[in-house]
Parts: sequence; C-alpha cells; structure tokens
Amino acid sequence: MPKSVLIVDDHPGFRASARRMLEASGYEVAGEAGDGETAIAACGELGPDLVLLDVQLPDLDGFEIAARLQALERAPDVVLTSSRDRADLGEAIAESPACGFIAKADLCGPALAELVG
Amino acid sequence: MSSLRRALVALGLLAFLLGLLTAALVMTSDHASPRGLLLALVLAAGWSFAFTGLYAWDRRPQNNTGPLMTAAGFAWFFQGLSASNNEWIFAIGIVGQNLPFAILIHLLVTFPSGRLRTRAQTLAVGLAYLATGPLSLIWALFTDPSTQSGCERCPENPVLIGGFEGLANAINALQAIGGSVSIAIGIGLLYRNWRRSSAAERRVLTPVFLTGGTAFTVLLAELIIGELGVPHTVQVVTFVTAVAIFACLPFAFLLGLLRSRIGRVEEVSSALSAENEQLTAELQTKVEELRASRHRIVEAGYAERRRVERDLHDGAQQRLMALTMTLRLAREKLDADPAASAELLDEAMEELAAATAELREFARGIHPVVLSDRGLAAALGGLAERSPVPVKVAAAPAERLPMPVESAAYFVVAESLTNVARYSGAEAATVRVERRNGTLEVEVSDDGAGGADPEAGTGLRGLADRVAALDGSFAVRSEAGEGTTVEARIPCG
Repeated sequence: MPKSVLIVDDHPGFRASARRMLEASGYEVAGEAGDGETAIAACGELGPDLVLLDVQLPDLDGFEIAARLQALERAPDVVLTSSRDRADLGEAIAESPACGFIAKADLCGPALAELVG
Repeated sequence: MSSLRRALVALGLLAFLLGLLTAALVMTSDHASPRGLLLALVLAAGWSFAFTGLYAWDRRPQNNTGPLMTAAGFAWFFQGLSASNNEWIFAIGIVGQNLPFAILIHLLVTFPSGRLRTRAQTLAVGLAYLATGPLSLIWALFTDPSTQSGCERCPENPVLIGGFEGLANAINALQAIGGSVSIAIGIGLLYRNWRRSSAAERRVLTPVFLTGGTAFTVLLAELIIGELGVPHTVQVVTFVTAVAIFACLPFAFLLGLLRSRIGRVEEVSSALSAENEQLTAELQTKVEELRASRHRIVEAGYAERRRVERDLHDGAQQRLMALTMTLRLAREKLDADPAASAELLDEAMEELAAATAELREFARGIHPVVLSDRGLAAALGGLAERSPVPVKVAAAPAERLPMPVESAAYFVVAESLTNVARYSGAEAATVRVERRNGTLEVEVSDDGAGGADPEAGTGLRGLADRVAALDGSFAVRSEAGEGTTVEARIPCG
C-alpha cells in the first residue's frame, strides 16, 4: 500500500510540481495545505503517513509545526524542505523531531525514499 | 500714515492744548508767583520735553527714551494745574507736581536705552516714583496748603484730613529723604556709566549727563534748602534754576539719542540676538529632521534589501524550483514515456518564460535599465505604457540629467502611478516632468478619489526622503473627491 503524503507549502506552483513528482514516485497525495494551521488540522483529519513541510510559511515556522505534529496521536513522519540551503537553516534541522531535510532543488523520489523508506 | 505716527500726532496736539490750558490757569492764578516766570518755565519744559520726546519716539520706536521724555513733558503740566484757583484742579496739581523729576531720574539713569537693567537703577527710579507718587498723594491728604510758605493765598485743600500736621511733616521728610537718596544714587550711576563708556560713547553721554547732573544737583539743593526752612524767595530762585536747566535737558537727550549710534547699536544687537536665537532653533530643528530622514533612508535601504530577498524567494526562485522538479521528472520519463516527457518539457518551457518575465520585471524595480541607457523621457514612456490606468506623459525632458536626479524623478513617477492603479480608482493620470530654472519639476496627477495620506504608508514617505536627500521638496495634494497630485521639485543645476 503506497504511503500517503500531505504537501505543505504556500506556493501553489511548487505544490503542483511536488504532487506530480510524488505521484510519479509511487506516493499517494492525501492533500495539500498552504499554511501551518491548515496543515495541523489536515493532519488530524487525513492522518497521512508523511508530511512534506516547507520551513517558511506565512503563519507558523516549519520547525514549530513539526514539533506540534509530533504531539499528535498518530504522528506522521515529517520531511522538511526549503528553497534555502541546509546551511542557511543551521542547527534547527538537527534539533527538530523531523526525519530530515531535503532542499527543494534536490527534491525527488529517491531522496525521499532514502529518508523515510 | 502709520498708526503709531497718528497716535504721536494726537499726543502732540494734546500737549499743545494742555500747554494753553496751563497758560490760562497760571495767568489767572491768585497765588502763583511770579506768574510770568512760572508760565515761561512750565511751558518751556513741558512743550520741549513733549515735542522732542514725540520726535524721538517716532525716530526710534523701539527705544524707551522717547516715550519717557513725552511722559515727562505731560507731567510738567501738573505744575500749571497747581496754579489753578479751582480747589480740585489745584489739588491734582499739588499731588503730581514733583512727578516730572522722578521721570527725569528714570530718563537719566537709563539713558540711552530707557530700560531698567540693574538693581541700582531700579532702586533709584523706584524711590523717585515712590516719593513723587504715592507719598505725595498721602502727604496731600494731611496738608493744609495755606500753612505752607508762599502759599497763603492758595485754594483750600478739598480732601484735607485735618489734625495730622505731624504725620504730614513726617511724610514730607520721608519724601525728601527718598528723593535725595534716589538723586544721590542717580548721580553715582551717571558717574559710573560715564567712566565705563568709550571715548565715542562719551561724546554722546557728556552733554546729557552734564546737563542732567547739574539739574540733579540743583534739585538736591532745592530739597535740602526746603528742609532747612530758608526764605521763600531763595526756594523760588533755586526751583526756577532747576526748571531752567531741565528745560534744556530734552534737547540734550534728543541730540544724544539721534547723534549716537549707541541706542541704534543696542536695538540692532538685541534684534540680532533674537534673530540668532531663532536661527539656532531653526537649525536645531533642521538637524533633527536631517537625522530622522537619514535614519529613515538607512532603514529604507534595509527594508528594500529585505523586499528584494523576499521577492526573489517567493517569485523567481519558487518557479525555478518547480522547473527543476518538472525537468527531473521529464528526464525520468524520457525512455518509458516519451510523450509524457515531451509534455513535461513544454510545461517547463512555459514556466521558464514566466520566470524570465518575472525576473525582468523585478530587475526593473531595482533599477530600470532603460533609464540609464536612454534617459528619463524613454523610461517615463515605458512606465506609462505598462500602467493599467491610461497615462498621458504631457512633458518630459529630452536632455540627460544627473543620474540621481533622473532616478529620483523616475521613482516618484513609478511609485505615484503604482498608487494611482492600486488605490485611486482613477480613469486617467497625467505625468509632467519639466526642467525650469535649474529645478526639475515632477508632477503626477489623477482624477481619482483623492484622500491619500502621505503619512500613512512608507511609499510616499520614502519618496519624500529620496527627494529631500537631493535638497528637493515633495508635496502631496489629495483632497477627498478632488483626485491626487504628487509634486516633487529637485534641484538639477
């Protein structure tokens, strides 16, 4: 059974590309969210296996969302992504409960599989 | 004729009429003697002080000497009133008859400014007014004139409170002491002022102080003689001498005041000092404005960089990220599904075209290349063309101007047109940029709703700072319902 994914990003263009890439890589896209609060609500509702989470959102910080998702009953795996470099984000990635980080430029099926299996 | 001059002419007329009244009173007097001499002296002193005082007042309105001389002239007529056979007029004359001497002390110790500045001056002048004003009034309440030497035929005192001769004498003595001390301080002050003055100042002060000092000395003598109880004739002679000298005094004052530059210099210096204070305050305000404006310019620089980063991140960068993913997917499908791959490549090219257009627009926002390459007129044409609201460029300079000037003018127009499109609801806008007398005049007007508040947003404030940095001026007129006009004037050599 394919893993279900929630895509969280405030740029619709990026969400569309990510959805196509994920579907091509064998994931099932459960839903999309444009900001943090919507993402947390959607997680409770849809119960995805994986959340592809942009670090910079209009309302909440991606790291904070990751921590709050961790507290859910069925906590999903979280993969952080950003158009910035890993180096720009510093220690926050390592300290977050997320499985890992993939820069948007490197985002593809194999890279995701490497992190979450 | 100025209102001051009209008032002065009226006062002159009044002095003339009072002189005539005095003449009538003296010549019909039962008790004044010798009448002719008294009249001559009162008229000479009264008119000379009043008329020279009014002239000085007119010539030096800022100086107090003119008004004081005029007041002394009017005060002399009290002497004339004391010649009246009417008991009430006589009483008023008696109370005020010594007032001119107090004003003279005031004039002399404060010459040439007429302003009290030191404690010693205030003391001398205060004592003089006390002795000749309030004390004189109290004295008059308790004094029966017929008991005074040389006044046996004077009218009765209508306000006399009898039976207090002792008190009257005590007050009289107090007046004499107060007057003497005042005169003594006055002479001391004149001497000190004379000693401290420069050679040039002495040329002016000497006639005034010499005449005044002599008059004071004679007056002091008269006071002392009065107390010693010498015969009436001696008192009259001393008094007449004092008045004769006093009658000369106004001419000395006038001469001194007009010939001297001291009074003038003092006025000029005080005006300069006031102007200086005002300039300092203005300068301080300017410095603060400049500091605030510099702070805003630096802030605006940072804000601009943040905006550039955010625009790049949200715009072109996101498109390029999506493009990367699309291209990667297209490559993966190249062998298995060439048709799908071709479709993805088409999509990628569209995305790339959009990203390029976005970057071009973005770069124009940072610095419009057409401005540096082809000048203001071409750049304004481009702005008008891209504006969603129809824009007419009514005037634009054909020649090239210094880059900072062109750039400021361009951004004033660009930001104003952005505001027209976003907020005004206008149907048309007009841009007029003209070089006139070394200034570039920029005007953007629209026929929209108006009511824009330049303080509300950062856009207009940023423009104002940008223009101010080039020593220009910036204004927004935006009455509700009247459209909006943005005006900038930028010096351009």
